[in-house]
Amino acid sequence: MPKLDITVEVCGMAGDGTIAAGGLINEGMSRGGLSVLAFDSYPAEIRGFGRCVTRSRIGHERRTALEEHTHVLISLNDEQSLSRVPFLTEHSAVFFDNQPPTLVPEESSLAAHVEPATALFGMPFTDLAAQAAGSDRGRNLVALGGFAAVFQVPSELFEPAIVKKFKSKGQKVVESNVRCFQAGVAYALERFSERLWDPVSFPPPKEGPEIVMLSGNTAIAEGALDAGLHLYFGYPITPATPIMEYLAKRLPERGGRLMQMEDEIASIGGVLGGFFAGKRSMTATSGPGFALMTELITHGVMSETPAVIINAQRGGPATGLPTKTEQSDLHAAVFGGPGDSARIVIAPTDVPECYHLTIKSFQLAEKYQIPVIVLTDFFLDNRVESVPLPVAEDDARKDMTVYPDPDAKERYRRFKITESGISPRALPGMEGYIFAATGLEHTEKGLPDYTPENHSKMTEKRYRKLRSALEDLPSPVEHTPRGRVDLGVIGWGSNFGSVHEAVNRACERGLKVGALKLTAIYPYHEDAIRDFMSRCDEILIAELNFEGQLANLVGHLHRKEVLRLNRVTGLPMPPSVIYKKILEILGETDS
Amino acid sequence: MKTPGPVLAEQVKRIEDSELFSFRSGRLPIWCPGCGYFGIHAGINAALKQLGIPHHKVVVVSGIGCAGRYPFFSNTYGLHTTHGRSLPVATGVKFANPELTVLAVGGDGDGLGIGGGHLPHASRKDINISYVLFDNSIYGLTKGQPSPSSPAGFKTKVSPSGTVERPLNATLMALSYGASFVARLFAGEPRLIGEILAKGIRHPGFSFLHVYTSCVTFDKQYKTWDHLKEWVHPIPEGHNPSDFRAAMDLVLDDDFATGLIYQRGK
Repeated sequence: MPKLDITVEVCGMAGDGTIAAGGLINEGMSRGGLSVLAFDSYPAEIRGFGRCVTRSRIGHERRTALEEHTHVLISLNDEQSLSRVPFLTEHSAVFFDNQPPTLVPEESSLAAHVEPATALFGMPFTDLAAQAAGSDRGRNLVALGGFAAVFQVPSELFEPAIVKKFKSKGQKVVESNVRCFQAGVAYALERFSERLWDPVSFPPPKEGPEIVMLSGNTAIAEGALDAGLHLYFGYPITPATPIMEYLAKRLPERGGRLMQMEDEIASIGGVLGGFFAGKRSMTATSGPGFALMTELITHGVMSETPAVIINAQRGGPATGLPTKTEQSDLHAAVFGGPGDSARIVIAPTDVPECYHLTIKSFQLAEKYQIPVIVLTDFFLDNRVESVPLPVAEDDARKDMTVYPDPDAKERYRRFKITESGISPRALPGMEGYIFAATGLEHTEKGLPDYTPENHSKMTEKRYRKLRSALEDLPSPVEHTPRGRVDLGVIGWGSNFGSVHEAVNRACERGLKVGALKLTAIYPYHEDAIRDFMSRCDEILIAELNFEGQLANLVGHLHRKEVLRLNRVTGLPMPPSVIYKKILEILGETDS
Repeated sequence: MKTPGPVLAEQVKRIEDSELFSFRSGRLPIWCPGCGYFGIHAGINAALKQLGIPHHKVVVVSGIGCAGRYPFFSNTYGLHTTHGRSLPVATGVKFANPELTVLAVGGDGDGLGIGGGHLPHASRKDINISYVLFDNSIYGLTKGQPSPSSPAGFKTKVSPSGTVERPLNATLMALSYGASFVARLFAGEPRLIGEILAKGIRHPGFSFLHVYTSCVTFDKQYKTWDHLKEWVHPIPEGHNPSDFRAAMDLVLDDDFATGLIYQRGK
């Protein structure tokens, strides 16, 4: 049986129920034991006239990247779907409304634009919905029924998903939607009985952890909760807002507190105050908000106050592209702000890592008394993956604070210079350790001191913490067999999924190519990266930014100039783009 | 102007001897001799003493400026933040450990200029902290530029022909932002500062103390000691602090009445 790997799209106007239909496909297919990776795109405006597209990559193997091409298109609006036609594979299937609620001019008709080999499934979505439920609102469910029938997906997979989805809106809504779905199934089975595709093969059910559909943002919020988050301060900003919305309900249930602040400066201020007084605190933002936070982040560096900051990257400078994806805040995260300010930057590459690295960020922040920035991006935040329910390690909530020696009260030095760089940290309320923390350069006791020797010593101390932290940071991971290769490809963040897939494809072709995943962005494991590079003739660093920001950071570790692959389309980088680049570098022809 | 060490030392000794407070560090405050901040300092410590709050249960969160240096001299936990950000940081401290007494302190540039966006929100959210605004209407630490509370026509090195902007009235602002406890005070009256701050700390919400003070080094025209002593007077007897309209009227009519102006729910 060939491995299944198809991409299904639902496309419509805002308000067509596009996102709902896409979500049901994900849920249903995941219930059948298939692996799902889904990413929606929608307009920045709330009720604009924009196009909504959901894309779901469904298959037997877990995938962490999306290709540009589509095998199945479910069109809820022909005019919007026309733009998707160029992405259809040769033998694709298209479901469309052959009696839409408003007249579609001939030149906008989807059926008139697809290639001859396309299997067209025209269904009267609107009429069927009206007959089944008395209104055309369930058009999307009729379309879903058509898809289920043609690909012979058992209704037992979709119907519970529909019930779950609409349960909160009452029994009547649930029933209407189920009836619309069933009407779509019945119609398609009758009309298309001769044209059904090979049934989707679902793997046999297996024991194991519960599989859940999880977005990067939800995984971050869950990770924070499992790490014992106590305070969340935030300001609404796409694409980070879902973290705040999720926590607004869950955090108070666990005894924590969430407050929407007046701006991002106040948000990071609250986080520093919270951690200063000993409680795990966090904020999440995107580039523009992160820019506002940088001064106080460097205060956390200087005053050695822990903080956890999620930077959900969008595209471009200033307001940029709020609903698009990019990896262009790496420089800002690593170097942003005044002075030599040593902080930790980590970047998860998939949804499970969003969970585990968020937990890690609290441990690092607390142990090393330092701001930790978690870099994600729009694609990682908003995509959903079918993953085993993540479970925290036993030490997720363990207090990592290094407290002062009880005998040392008289001699207590809050910023004592140590080999590791870590100084014992007292918390307000503890008797006998009174100190003041400051953003001014200071002595071991915390008093302002600008003398040359002191500034040199204290700067070195703060950077020593980074060296110490390396052992607690996740090492680079090689995703190919060891040994010498002609080309090594390095990826970070969500883009590593594409790197990984492209390199696998190149290896299947017999090329000697390796992949390296970096999650510790700063500090980074210089020796391990250099070791990998030493076994590669050429190094390619593929990332979603114009400058090649990771390449600028670690490229010097290679003995010769590293090659770069940069893209700023606002969209994830398809594996095929990296694959082509690999072939080009190795002088292979694409066949 | 260089601070004459012996004069400053005498100031320090006087405060130490008053037993209101003992300095944590052997260092002298950076404040100039005659600075109004010494009076505010005495008032704050009088309040803590009156309430019997152990010093390790107090966190002073400050911004930047002469007033921002407060945590280095006070025998409490301290967090000297960045310019204008004392209020949000103090909010985090209080939320993390509500048992702590949290004071935010800062000057008029810090609180009304760069940090002016935080006062409305700390007020309307009624965060249970006390905010003491040291208002001398000038940027002292950067050696004498006009502040948001400087009067129109204020002459400095960066406004040689006098400023044209109208001053902000912090007491009026706090009232209109919905602060639940608003007082106006004078650095020359430490006893009153102590008394009102003690009430403010006990008040279960945001307490705002707007303290008029003098920059003896850079302001020779407006809030000098002589002027302040002449202008400042107690709020009229019979003023009812629980009456919001009366509080607004008082503040609209009189820029220099000192005392507890408004306290909600009393």
